[in-house]
Amino acid sequence: MTPQTVDVLVIGGGATGAAALYDLARRGVRALLVEQNDFTTGTSGRYHGLLHSGGRYAVRDPETAQECIAENTILRRITPFAIEDTGGLFVATLDDPADFPAQWVTGCAAAGIPTEQLTPEQARAQEPALTPNITAVYRVPDASVDSFDLIHGFIAAARTYGCKTLIYHRVTQLIHEGDTIVGARLEDTRTGATRIIHAACILNAAGPWVSVIAGLAGIAVEVKFDRGAMIAMNMRWVNTIVNRLRPAADGDILVPVGAVCVLGTTSVMTDHPDDYRIEPWEVSKILNEAEAVVPGIRYGRALRAWAGVRPLYESPAAHHNDTAGRAVMRTFSVLDHAALHGVRGLVTVVGGKLTTCRLMAEQTVDVVCQQIGVTAPCTTAREVLPGATTRYHRLDQRLHRLEHGETPGELICECEMVTRPQIEQAIAAYGDQPVALDDLRRDLRIGMGPCQGGFCSYRAAAILQEVKGHSALETNRAFAAFVRERYQGVRPLLWGHQLRQFYLDELIYRRTLGLDWLTGDYDPHENVYAEGDHD
Amino acid sequence: MTKTTQTGSDVIVIGAGLAGLTAAVHAVQTGATVRLIAQGWGQQIVTPGWISVCDRAKDDVIAELRGYAALHPAHPYALAGDEGMIDCLERFRAITKAIGVPYGACVKAGHNLRLTTLLGAIQTPLLAPASMVSGDLTGVTGEILLVSFTGWRDFYPALAASNLAKQGITARAVLVDAPGAPQAWDLWPVELARRFDDPALRQRVIDQLRPHVQNAAKIGFPAVVGLEQHVEALADCTQQLERPCFEIATLPPSVPGTRLSNRLRRWLLRQRARVQIGHPVVHGIVENRRCVGVDVGALGHTNPFYADQFILATGGLYNGGIQSDESGRLWEPIFDLPVKGPGGTGREKWYHANLLVHRGHAVHRHTGLRVNTRMQPLDADGAPVLDNVYAAGHLLTGFNPLTDGCAEGIALATALKAVQVALALEAQKSY
Repeated sequence: MTPQTVDVLVIGGGATGAAALYDLARRGVRALLVEQNDFTTGTSGRYHGLLHSGGRYAVRDPETAQECIAENTILRRITPFAIEDTGGLFVATLDDPADFPAQWVTGCAAAGIPTEQLTPEQARAQEPALTPNITAVYRVPDASVDSFDLIHGFIAAARTYGCKTLIYHRVTQLIHEGDTIVGARLEDTRTGATRIIHAACILNAAGPWVSVIAGLAGIAVEVKFDRGAMIAMNMRWVNTIVNRLRPAADGDILVPVGAVCVLGTTSVMTDHPDDYRIEPWEVSKILNEAEAVVPGIRYGRALRAWAGVRPLYESPAAHHNDTAGRAVMRTFSVLDHAALHGVRGLVTVVGGKLTTCRLMAEQTVDVVCQQIGVTAPCTTAREVLPGATTRYHRLDQRLHRLEHGETPGELICECEMVTRPQIEQAIAAYGDQPVALDDLRRDLRIGMGPCQGGFCSYRAAAILQEVKGHSALETNRAFAAFVRERYQGVRPLLWGHQLRQFYLDELIYRRTLGLDWLTGDYDPHENVYAEGDHD
Repeated sequence: MTKTTQTGSDVIVIGAGLAGLTAAVHAVQTGATVRLIAQGWGQQIVTPGWISVCDRAKDDVIAELRGYAALHPAHPYALAGDEGMIDCLERFRAITKAIGVPYGACVKAGHNLRLTTLLGAIQTPLLAPASMVSGDLTGVTGEILLVSFTGWRDFYPALAASNLAKQGITARAVLVDAPGAPQAWDLWPVELARRFDDPALRQRVIDQLRPHVQNAAKIGFPAVVGLEQHVEALADCTQQLERPCFEIATLPPSVPGTRLSNRLRRWLLRQRARVQIGHPVVHGIVENRRCVGVDVGALGHTNPFYADQFILATGGLYNGGIQSDESGRLWEPIFDLPVKGPGGTGREKWYHANLLVHRGHAVHRHTGLRVNTRMQPLDADGAPVLDNVYAAGHLLTGFNPLTDGCAEGIALATALKAVQVALALEAQKSY
């Protein structure tokens, strides 16, 4: 294949990479974004959905707090379609340190975060599920943000300016000319085919994988991996974001997103960027902490658990003490490897938060533009993304569209209200590229509701077969791969009601459909009562 | 509040699944007065509707069942005994025939049926509603025509046809317009089945199908061909299209299971049994190791109901007969009977890493009550806990209803055995 030439190659299809692509696009730079999986499969998609007001960082990390409130305001302006304006509450209970609220109010004021004190009665009138043990409660401009919608929005906007993207391609090599990086070799992770991209500069926004990319240039970037688990409950226990008003700890946020309520999170240092384990103690801890704020929630139905890995970074110059997890600042760093390591053509951005993705993109693109001689300033903060609505997302939008005939066609995923024409359109958008059911999940939310794919997996697999003309074997495999992936997030939560739900799902897969016969998991003549099975 | 005096029944059956409903039928047939109390309908509302007895049997199922108890002493089939197994199946066929939802078997006597699923896998239950038996693939050489409806989300016959082709069965898919309003975006199987009850709506489907029949040997529909008039509806299709028409189990809710449940309930009511579905039994009233009654939940209070014998058929983890929590605790909510679990700490042994692991997940195989041959729940030492409470169905431990191909067989066999024991005891006491 002949090498392709672009001005800038962006590595990483998360929030920062997508925002950077959009930023480059608006400055008139020809850019290509490459992602090793699908968009949003890394940290950005393994997210709780909280668009921070900054309140959470007001005491310990004022710089991040200021960045959050500024960017919160900007994202509300430029990407309202991805944001539900839930507002947020910070709630202190009898168990929390009594002197903390005063420090927090001072910190918020210093960072420019508007707060409004409520009486416990006012707070409970707004959110009746809150504990009666409230000692202090404040309103802040938190919101919930759908990171899939946000990232797809940036990507779509960048495309309108002519920028391109390449998913399921991994960077395997950086191409040097002397001390300058001039391009990258990419491998198609599904076919193994390789291609070469020449670029005047590479923007490394690979999140937890930035050190892998920098390593290809012989540069060491020391990233700490901080794993956090989240749990989605089957309904909106609260309609406002609820933060615990205390020094940041495990399990102190409740975020209403779509039809569910996400509880988060934990903080566990790990050695791998793709360590998505969830330990039983994390599930218990998150439920117990949520219970202290919303009594009864731990007896609700937990739908799904997932973990994300936060890439944390402190520049070697800043600190030498052994900090980890929540003690590491959540601000970000732009590493200009030309200035730092004498390697031109590569700029890395690391750390930060989804809330500040646009700012991270702006500052990184500034450095990139300096290297490639582009002088256009950043304009991403000014206006709503091209073609996007100026209204906030509302929970009832999908149902409203369905009931008013705006999304005709049969309902395939009842939980998330996705219709057949929507699925067909999403498949068509991939052109001649392969499409997995999990890609459609990230595009449309199919399989993300209470039944976790029990009913829609078969339907979506069959539709995918019809549209793409797949063989039965390919279709059975796609179906099985999807339900196996869904199972990974349900498995830590199988007790009580969710165990019953999953029995029904398994009943559909095994008995009603016989999927396990067709995938070869089921051996019809094996003796299931073999030795050792009875005790 | 004051307790109203209740006239006790001979038997209270708790649960309206296959075990509870058939236990009530058996008890009524012996002349006992029966009250059936259940929180809701059982699993037959969501299962495919067929009767899995020994799906993995290679040849003659009945022959295999005759040696089952000796080979697998810990399996619930051993409780029913070889003759009890065969007896319960014959009784089930008799009662389903009597109530107008006849169940049939393979023409090759004693062999499992071979029925296609929506996906085109072949399942091998022993009995099935007659509407499914006509789709038995045993010895079929001709082409199968698979029918679904344009814009209906629950059956994609082309996928089934391509999977069947891999297994040597020729099938062809056709889509026709659904009977009734075509724009329904949320069309459930039971709603579609109601439309098939209407001869005029049905006729439109039949007329559309005529040109597609061609060389088809059989015509398969999703299991929505009629709810109340289903026998007539399918006979109508078969007669007009001049081919055996059959039904294929759909995604839940199960129309065949709904037909069976409705008709069993009506039959029980006609026999003057009491059938209360919708309120849970919240706990048993126990005096000196005997259950004298059960408290049934109502708005803000409970109502007691009294009887001499109690059949506990509340189901397993799915049905609520056994409850579980995050810590890994498993309990039986009505009598707090001892529940056996998969063992280990917490929930660590409950689920395998592979969703589709061929033996299924340990939590379903190992969780349940242990009973003696009199179907009395046992404590950890193997002694019966209560004298007049008999457990039946998926409440029992020792099998996996999702993988072992015996889910309905266990319900039928243990329900019959429980009634036989309970009423024999009753006879001893009375005479």
